[in-house]
Amino acid sequence: MLKIQNVSKVYRVGGQDFIALHNINLEIEDGAFMSFVGPSGSGKTTLLNLIGGLDSPTSGEVVFNGFHLNEMSRDQLAVLRRENIGFIFQSYNLLPVYSVYENILFPLLLNKQKESQVRDKVMALVEKVGLSAEANKKPAELSGGQCQRVAIARALVKDPLLVLADEPTANLDVENSHHILEMMRTLNQETQAAFIFSTHDEKVTRFVNREVALEDGYVKSDKVKQPNGELI
Amino acid sequence: MIRWILKGMLRDKSRSLFPFLVVAVGVALTVGLLGFMDGVFMGMIDMTAKLDTGHIRFVNKPFYEEEHLLPMDRALAGQKKTLAWLREHGDPRIQWSPRIRWGAIMDIPDEEGNTLSQTPVIGMAVQLLDPQSPERKRLQLEQSVIKGKIPSRSKQILVGYQLAETLKLTIGDTATLMGQTFDGGLATDNYTVSGFIRFGVAAMDKKMVLIDLGDAQQTFYMENMVTDWLGFLPRSVAYGDYEKIKQRIEQGLAALIKNPPEDWASDDEPIVLSILDQRNLGEIIKKFELIRGIIVMIFSFLMVLVLWNAGLINGIHRYGEMGLRLAMGETHKALMASLALEAFAVGLAGAMAGCLVGGTVVYFLQEVGVDMGDAMAQSGLMVNDVVRGRLSVEGFIRGIVPGMTASVAGSLIASLAIFQRSEANLFRELETG
Repeated sequence: MLKIQNVSKVYRVGGQDFIALHNINLEIEDGAFMSFVGPSGSGKTTLLNLIGGLDSPTSGEVVFNGFHLNEMSRDQLAVLRRENIGFIFQSYNLLPVYSVYENILFPLLLNKQKESQVRDKVMALVEKVGLSAEANKKPAELSGGQCQRVAIARALVKDPLLVLADEPTANLDVENSHHILEMMRTLNQETQAAFIFSTHDEKVTRFVNREVALEDGYVKSDKVKQPNGELI
Repeated sequence: MIRWILKGMLRDKSRSLFPFLVVAVGVALTVGLLGFMDGVFMGMIDMTAKLDTGHIRFVNKPFYEEEHLLPMDRALAGQKKTLAWLREHGDPRIQWSPRIRWGAIMDIPDEEGNTLSQTPVIGMAVQLLDPQSPERKRLQLEQSVIKGKIPSRSKQILVGYQLAETLKLTIGDTATLMGQTFDGGLATDNYTVSGFIRFGVAAMDKKMVLIDLGDAQQTFYMENMVTDWLGFLPRSVAYGDYEKIKQRIEQGLAALIKNPPEDWASDDEPIVLSILDQRNLGEIIKKFELIRGIIVMIFSFLMVLVLWNAGLINGIHRYGEMGLRLAMGETHKALMASLALEAFAVGLAGAMAGCLVGGTVVYFLQEVGVDMGDAMAQSGLMVNDVVRGRLSVEGFIRGIVPGMTASVAGSLIASLAIFQRSEANLFRELETG
């Protein structure tokens, strides 16, 4: 589904070049449930941005579902994201003036779908993330864990091939993090959407099937979960 | 999607209330101010047309060129034939009225015939005696005669009320007019003061008298002659069209001059003038339109400026939302379009509210008016003492269009930063924000 070939990313900071990613090569299969781990500044978010078509590599190539992202225009990338990629953010980024239901509905409206045609689908997802009672509440009335569940439903409502989650548990306590990760794993299995997390949270490691460790823009390790549950 | 956007706007007062108020206030001020200006200015045009120039004027060129001397010998003869020609060749919407401008000494004698007081007066002769005369309605004589009555028989005179006060006149007094006849002789005739008239223009109230057209023709030996044919157009005809109407009449004029009515003098050469050709009104209108344009521009600029800043503040307030929407796959163009749509909706609502407030003020000014008689007392302008606003569709358009344009322009200028920023930066700022 996703090929990252010889990708480097260089930022110009204060008149000097800062190399965020060094010659990264990765191949990610359909339905993956994996994480990029590493300390701050290791290049996790930069890599997610490149995969999501939000940024372009200085060199190398990102190929998503057969599309060469480097060769696509800004508008084409927007369409690609709109139809195929869901995003989950550390700080949820829900739209504060809209209800739970409306926040989840939004990606479908962007895809030019009519509310009357997708109402049941949205409500089913609201129910799936356990927020039926909160469907008409605004984000300010929800807990952090509930907000992140809304964000997950919003990312999944358009049936994406890929969900990119940037530090999804960073703002949550242990219990909520556990619930959220469980929920994402279940949804990954049900929907076959690939999930890629960036995280420095060790709790995440227990849930993923593959873990790519980054350090100073290099791939330090690439571990896959073995039948015994160990990442090797 | 449009419903979703409008829902957000209504719920988030910070993004709609302030721009709404700015547009509403801006449009109310524009509509109110322009409505008042239009009223004052159009009032001046109406007043000048009624009392002096008509909207279209048909006059002998030699008379017009020495108008200040009131050369009665250059009046146009052939009254009936001239009227027939004007009706045939003029615009069918024009009502033609014959008038005689004259000047004389007005002498007020005592019971023994000795002069009590005397003053030069400017006179206008109009068709007064016929109760069906459109001039009585046009000059609003029923309302304007503040004492006495409109002349009902020959040789009666209406006197400007301030002039009457100066001369200490009473109704029924005799006034002797001493002037010049058509052929240069001395004209004297006695008139009875039938009423005092308030023209509403200080200069005229102090100097002017009105007599019947037939009486003037008799007094000044001007049988079948008038100095002016004034053409009056309905209010629905804009002053911008006067020139075209004038040109249409002029097209047939050369043939008339070649084959004139037999009563005309050999050197008579009538000309057609629009009100804009007279009393420097054309220039005044140009300046008025310029000032009006500048006012609209200033208000629009101020609205754009305020709304731009409001948009910037709003942009900061909604930076997260913008980044999110771009990340989720909304294109920059679609995002800008939705912001423009929001601004359009706010602009429309604000413009409607502004029109309601501004329109109410103008309606009040139109119906009630503001009495500026004291301020105008020393003015020679033909402006009614009670200045009024004028409510018009154009006035609303002049408020609504800049108001809505300012709303959309202000929002789009403010959104340029979002348009130019890359998704990656928005995304990063979104995370740090």
